[in-house]
Amino acid sequence: MKYEAVIGLEVHAELSTQSKIYCACSAKFGADINSHTCPVCTGMPGALPVLNKQVVHYAAKMGLATGCTINRLCKADRKNYFYPDLPKAYQISQFDVPLCENGEVFFYVDGEKKSCRLERIHFEEDAGKLLHDEIDGTVVDFNRCGVPLIEMVTKPDLHSSAEAKEFLEMIKTTLSYLDICDCKMEEGSIRCDVNVSIRPEGSQELGTRVEMKNINTFSGAVRAIDYEVARQIDLVEHGGQVQQETRRWDDVKLKNTVMRTKEDAQDYRYFPDPDLIAVEIDDDWYGQIQSEIPELPIARYERYLNEYGMTAMEARQLMDSVSKSDLLDAAAASGKIKPKAAANWILSDISKYLNDKEVELSDTKLTAQKLVDMVCLIDSGAISGAAGKKVLLSLFETDESAEQIVERLGLKQVSDEGAILALVQEVLANNPKSVADYKAGKKNVTGFLVGQCMKASKGQGNPKIINKLLAQELDKL
Amino acid sequence: MELYQKTAAELSAMLQAKEISAVELTQSLLARTDAVEDKVQGFVTVTREQALAQAAKVDEKRAAGQALSDLAGIPMAIKDNICTKGTLTTCASKMLYNFNPPYNATVVEKLAAHDVVVTGKANMDEFAMGSSCENSAMHPTHNPHDLSRVPGGSSGGSAAVVASGAVPISLGSDTGGSIRQPASFCGVVGLKPTYGAVSRYGLIAFASSLDQIGPFGRSVEDVAMLLDAITAHDPKHDSTSVQTPFEGTTRANLRADVKGMKIGLPKEYFGAGISDEVRTQVLSAADTYKSLGAEVFEISLPLVEYALPVYYILSSAEASSNLARFDGVKYGYRTPHAGDDLIALYTKSRSEGFGAEVQRRIMLGTYVLSSGYYDAYYKKARAAQRKIRQEFAAAFETCDVILTPVAPTTAYEIGSKTTNPLEMYAGDICTVSVNIAGLPGLVQPCGFDENHLPVGMQLIGPRFGEQTLLNAGLAFEQASGLKNIVAAL
Amino acid sequence: MAIERKEIEHIAALARLDIGDANFDHLAADMQGIVAMVDQLQKLDLGDITDQIDAERKNAFRADVVEQAFTPDTLIAPNAPDFQAGGVAVPRVVE
Repeated sequence: MKYEAVIGLEVHAELSTQSKIYCACSAKFGADINSHTCPVCTGMPGALPVLNKQVVHYAAKMGLATGCTINRLCKADRKNYFYPDLPKAYQISQFDVPLCENGEVFFYVDGEKKSCRLERIHFEEDAGKLLHDEIDGTVVDFNRCGVPLIEMVTKPDLHSSAEAKEFLEMIKTTLSYLDICDCKMEEGSIRCDVNVSIRPEGSQELGTRVEMKNINTFSGAVRAIDYEVARQIDLVEHGGQVQQETRRWDDVKLKNTVMRTKEDAQDYRYFPDPDLIAVEIDDDWYGQIQSEIPELPIARYERYLNEYGMTAMEARQLMDSVSKSDLLDAAAASGKIKPKAAANWILSDISKYLNDKEVELSDTKLTAQKLVDMVCLIDSGAISGAAGKKVLLSLFETDESAEQIVERLGLKQVSDEGAILALVQEVLANNPKSVADYKAGKKNVTGFLVGQCMKASKGQGNPKIINKLLAQELDKL
Repeated sequence: MELYQKTAAELSAMLQAKEISAVELTQSLLARTDAVEDKVQGFVTVTREQALAQAAKVDEKRAAGQALSDLAGIPMAIKDNICTKGTLTTCASKMLYNFNPPYNATVVEKLAAHDVVVTGKANMDEFAMGSSCENSAMHPTHNPHDLSRVPGGSSGGSAAVVASGAVPISLGSDTGGSIRQPASFCGVVGLKPTYGAVSRYGLIAFASSLDQIGPFGRSVEDVAMLLDAITAHDPKHDSTSVQTPFEGTTRANLRADVKGMKIGLPKEYFGAGISDEVRTQVLSAADTYKSLGAEVFEISLPLVEYALPVYYILSSAEASSNLARFDGVKYGYRTPHAGDDLIALYTKSRSEGFGAEVQRRIMLGTYVLSSGYYDAYYKKARAAQRKIRQEFAAAFETCDVILTPVAPTTAYEIGSKTTNPLEMYAGDICTVSVNIAGLPGLVQPCGFDENHLPVGMQLIGPRFGEQTLLNAGLAFEQASGLKNIVAAL
Repeated sequence: MAIERKEIEHIAALARLDIGDANFDHLAADMQGIVAMVDQLQKLDLGDITDQIDAERKNAFRADVVEQAFTPDTLIAPNAPDFQAGGVAVPRVVE
């Protein structure tokens, strides 16, 4: 029998606010143990939470960007359980009325457009970190306690690890477009739990699902899904039954093991947090959030494909980087250059520079205006393409305009035919052997002569005109 | 007249006139404390050295001609569930026997700004759960009017130390009557403010949606003075805190005038279960109001029948979650018997650290929130809470204040109600609705029973009705002369 | 409704309380009585009143500004039952 995998995801993203969700401690990653703590986030008796407005704003932005309905009136609920990384013994989350509901995320898999519905997005606080290597037992670091998270829960709409991966990539790209998450996977900024079940192909029933935890990378999600789908198929084909349980993925041993069975399912005793009051997003606030939603990555991707005539690979590379995509769109908006020309520069020389230097576009002095000016200089023949590459290096690092750089570096191309003719004639006069060879039929000396002309022009001679005049002069001989 | 027999307002005037120094006053009240504390046992911690140092500072400021608050140099006690940085804050529990808060509650910061002199932390029922102060893990507190009887609870210590003359004023907290019932039992004045009027930041939570800090004193004026010092919107630390229209002004606006005031007597609060003596005294207070020109009439608040179930569901549910943080990991008591087992560390720390009543409430709260029972209990109680609020709102369309008994009886014998928790809970019937509805309630003495035990009365006001309550209280206090009652010890 | 022994054990486990055999029957009896008391609520007819989001007050926020007033030594160490390597220590947690 053939089986279809049915996959749902729960994705957690840490929001890039300055302070934590319910107190004024820094939310920055990587501080000394317990140095970002206060009575609130360490659950001291008597301490109370006050909600960081930015968290609601960011979470609602993600909701609008994923087509969710925003619940204009919502609340925070307590999720009660004991664990050393949870100092209050409850997590402040949202239960029956999440901030955002019923969204849909679109993405491409091998050129085919797919979608996955979002059941909800809610805001909540992160837990602390347990350190096992410091002492004989376990030490608790509360720095991450209270760092704001959004949890995005999908419907079981995904059917392969490849789809899951592309969905996750699209979530990540969207978060970066909205500028609400630093998306540093190595710091755990985005994490996901995976729900997997299988069913006979063609069936509409949902099978018994297994939840997998401890998945830290998107490639890990792919491995975990492939493993679990294979495990379930193998189990069923050998007469077994999938049990509803939570399994822990081990990305080193590449296998999962049972964490919790259905019997010891938790009872979290959710109830509205009496220390907090209702959150209302009024029309003004809603409008403000809406006005901050940029053109979304998928829209840009499709525009690059359909309007700019790019390949899927090029469009994807540009979409993946909001800064490069912004640069391209700003350059294209000037109307002075072909978008494709700007894209070529961005995907080649500009990307290479950024990679080599390990910097972001925003760390450099390159602007869309400068890029447009430089490309215009090439298009008009004022400088050569090769000179353009030299100009670009300075565009990254100085405040000068493209023209100023061309001037400073003396890169202006000579296109005056009279001047070039004199130059060509001088080169021919100085290279009688090559001229003789040419006359003897060795036409390939032309290349050498062109080089000599370029050299004589100090690299500024317009190569097209040099070629033309040289050919003309040689013919006269 | 000894200093311990004077009200805070009188002492304030003496301090301002430099008839006494803050150090002299503090020494005098610490001496009174020494004389009575063996019998009353109202304190968990007496902060002698800090108090004297604080008093000396106040004297220096006054000598330097600094403008000072009326409360500057006045000794007071603070209930032991309010965090005081550097001073043990135990909630009268083994669980927090060694807890030294790293921060001050907002009210403590405010009191410090008023230069009050804190002479100690007052005893209470463990985690404010109880109505007799017998649930303290430290020791029971005795009623200063009859040492064989309870002072009430949970703020029994805060009420007893005021009634005994150890301090003129104190702070308590009230979740279901924990300020008002001990005020009644000890013959002092106590106010439970409108929910949100006083910041809860630093008050170790019992039931967040019901808890409220409030003042005790031996006169309405003293209670107003302390209320003025602690009322404040605290948006930085408490999301449930609100801006009040009376912040810092109730003492200045006190007027002993009830002419034309409409006072409702809810018939359900005077029915079976209320002792004859209590009923008689409170109805006689109603007559006093009539004679002062108030309009007194009967009203009906039938939902009081459901007040106890609603209260015990909501308060226990919240408590089960609020008290989960006491797990032996971060502070307070940790069992020595857990070995390497984390679950044992939790269960043993909690079972050894919490007393029986606290464990009962945690069990009930966990039960009403658990899967399968949430809708029938917690959710229904929340809906009933709305209905009770509506009932009070409707009542306040016809009257300005509501007059009721505080407790079914006067102070009872220590140990007489400890075997059956339900009997103890039943004593909260007159007070819990006020918390459920988030309203202010003022309690003051209105007479004595045949054993010479104080009988209290309760005035309930609409949201932010504090000034009206205090004015009505002052009018009765002046007419009855029942003011500044210090127990003879 | 009467509560079964198994249920009390389950509630105690959720609440991380170790009731102990000696106290069990006593607590169970107390629980029965208390639950019977709160069960009186079941006869209250709530009409069209439901539990909804309490919207009497809305939107208490703080601005996204960092303030750091504590260090582990002033905040956590003084009260920690077992403070090691900069944090509270617990028996080894196996995840």
